[in-house]
Amino acid sequence: MAAQGSLLILGLGNVLCGDDGLGIAAVELLDREYEAGPSVRVLDGGTLGLSLIGHIQEAEDLILVDAIRDDAAPGSLVRLSGEEVAPAVADRLSVHQIGVADLLDGLRLLEALPPRLRLVGLVPARLSWGPGLSSEVIRALPDLVSAVRAEAEALGHTFVARGDHAAPSRAGHPLARILGL
Amino acid sequence: MSHLVIDPVTRIEGHLRVEAEVEGGAVANAWSSSTMFRGIELILKGRDPRDAWAFTQRICGVCTTVHAIASIRAVEKAIGAVPPTNARLLRNLIMASQMVHDHVVHFYHLHALDWVDVVSALKADPAATSQLAQSISDWPLSSSRYFAAVKDRLQGFVDRGQLGPFANAYWGHSAYRLPPEANLMAVAHYLEALDWQREFIKIHAVLGGKNPHLQSFLVGGMATPVDPDRQASINLGSVAALRQLVAQARDFVNKVYIPDLMAVASFYKDWAGYGAGVGNYLVYGEYPEGDEPNASLFLPSGVIWGRDLSRVASFDPTKINEFITHSWYQYSGGDSEGRHPFDGETQPHYTGPEPPYERLNTDGKYSWLKSPRYEGKPMEVGPLSRMLVAYARGHQRVQELVNGTLNQLGVGPAALFSTLGRVAARGIETVVLAEKLDGWLDELADNMGRGELAIHDNSKWDPSTWPKDATGAGFHEAPRGALGHWVHIKDGVIANYQCVVPSTWNAGPRDASGQRGPYEEALVGNPVADPAQPLELLRTLHSFDPCLACGVHVVDARRRTLAEVKVS
Repeated sequence: MAAQGSLLILGLGNVLCGDDGLGIAAVELLDREYEAGPSVRVLDGGTLGLSLIGHIQEAEDLILVDAIRDDAAPGSLVRLSGEEVAPAVADRLSVHQIGVADLLDGLRLLEALPPRLRLVGLVPARLSWGPGLSSEVIRALPDLVSAVRAEAEALGHTFVARGDHAAPSRAGHPLARILGL
Repeated sequence: MSHLVIDPVTRIEGHLRVEAEVEGGAVANAWSSSTMFRGIELILKGRDPRDAWAFTQRICGVCTTVHAIASIRAVEKAIGAVPPTNARLLRNLIMASQMVHDHVVHFYHLHALDWVDVVSALKADPAATSQLAQSISDWPLSSSRYFAAVKDRLQGFVDRGQLGPFANAYWGHSAYRLPPEANLMAVAHYLEALDWQREFIKIHAVLGGKNPHLQSFLVGGMATPVDPDRQASINLGSVAALRQLVAQARDFVNKVYIPDLMAVASFYKDWAGYGAGVGNYLVYGEYPEGDEPNASLFLPSGVIWGRDLSRVASFDPTKINEFITHSWYQYSGGDSEGRHPFDGETQPHYTGPEPPYERLNTDGKYSWLKSPRYEGKPMEVGPLSRMLVAYARGHQRVQELVNGTLNQLGVGPAALFSTLGRVAARGIETVVLAEKLDGWLDELADNMGRGELAIHDNSKWDPSTWPKDATGAGFHEAPRGALGHWVHIKDGVIANYQCVVPSTWNAGPRDASGQRGPYEEALVGNPVADPAQPLELLRTLHSFDPCLACGVHVVDARRRTLAEVKVS
């Protein structure tokens, strides 16, 4: 499928709440290993709610990367697409009331929800307070990064592996230290 | 008597549970609880204090900048770094624009639906809505055609079952009082505000980079260079872009937000008689007008006791203590002592019921929030406190706006101490700050013109320049109120770190002597028409703009739903 417009890959979650931060870790890793093509933006959305609307409105394709509760084992990969995404985030099962659901609701009210919407993530093992990912999630993180890239490529977007020389140096950034990456 | 539980309270950040006893159609007693532990303190021990802001800005998704600011100020105080003028101006711009953004979003997206019946808007006559809108403002989006289109759009959401944020409310509740036309106008502005906030927050992109989390904070100043001629810095082009965003904000605030607020208030004047709360108001003050440590603040600090506006006491940080008698913590000196944040302890000790549970043991410990007290008394913090202190201290613009608002509504000063007073104070503060932003931009442009480009005091960057043992407190007026971070640095790393956040002041539980916290006190006496639909309680709770984020927001592929109100 050819890319029609720009793609936003948006990592979501709280890096201080264990595996809740896995979406952020995944986009950091993706950004470190691959140079995204000109149609792609990779962003760490944290737990920001409505203030992300502007970033999303500029995109025509949207891939959310997040922790996803499911009956499958911790670390399992979960993919949701299009119509499946809204009910999954709309339940407000989370404690985060102004979160993804409100973000998508807001976009829908503005009639600006990107038509091609994907949610890719892992089932978390540990959501208690404190930074650091569980071993289950750490093991599955490379698969998640590949899955995000595969979704993006299926939508017609491209990436180039950075190799050793081109990786951006983020080691000096405090976020890298929070994530332990 | 019925016992009512709201869990979670919706349209807030984070997790708040409220239990209330309702007797004779009014709240007789209330308990406020945060059921989510979030001890940032435990995470920061042993870390580099220069990194602390990057952690604290992740506590909460709406309060990112505020925790970053409080943290760098605390560390700067401890190590003796003094940010240069440009850094102060940039911080003021970031903080005040955050405030303007948050207040507008709060009014429309978190609070309006307590006053506005969205379903009633479907019965509105677009022509009459247009007349109403034009009678209160010269905002251009006000034609019959425009409101007819909004009504069609809303009908479309309803028909497709896509009410989204409008889905979970008490439509048709007897406590809704606006005519259909006012409801339709408010819905139109709800949607416009969604669009406006998206545009306005670009201020932060100009000041802090493209990443949605501002990356430009730095202990000792800011990380963004200021240079009139350089591309990758804050230059004259940035200042022009900021001016335009500020002008748009002023327009939206003056022509949409404030007229809507006044229209809503005029139908709900009785809410000036509910939600008074503890009546003590605490303000740390904000927006330094100079670089010296005791520079005057644009919004002054101060303490008001017992709703007495004739005197304002000075704020003394040593008078703050936190109690845990009713909180799930232990203190080394026992459950009844109060501890100053510099000596603060965060030892979680959960003794509550195993979830899922029906009721909390409100005679014992019942919240993850501590109970901060000032001189042993519960204090309200937030926009109402700030506007009252500014008013009582003679802040001219605040006085004009407060008096004007009271006159327009035909109510006396006592109306300020209420649920409605909180709503009005937030609006007044937004006007004052939207006007003030230009002044700081002028100063920044002047500095650039004079070649004064310093942005960072790096004389204290190297830990070898720090005292072996140092403490510092960082104070900030966040949109929700007084925020303090206290840091103890020993041998170059964090030995202790305590945050007392605005919602801890407001939402905290009873203290050692049984005094209710501000939410708890403000709920007492609120009318409750239908205990199964406690709309009235949400009005008072939302008037404080609760924010108790832990920020976990895992999505669920299994699609369960939670019951929100239980009555027994």
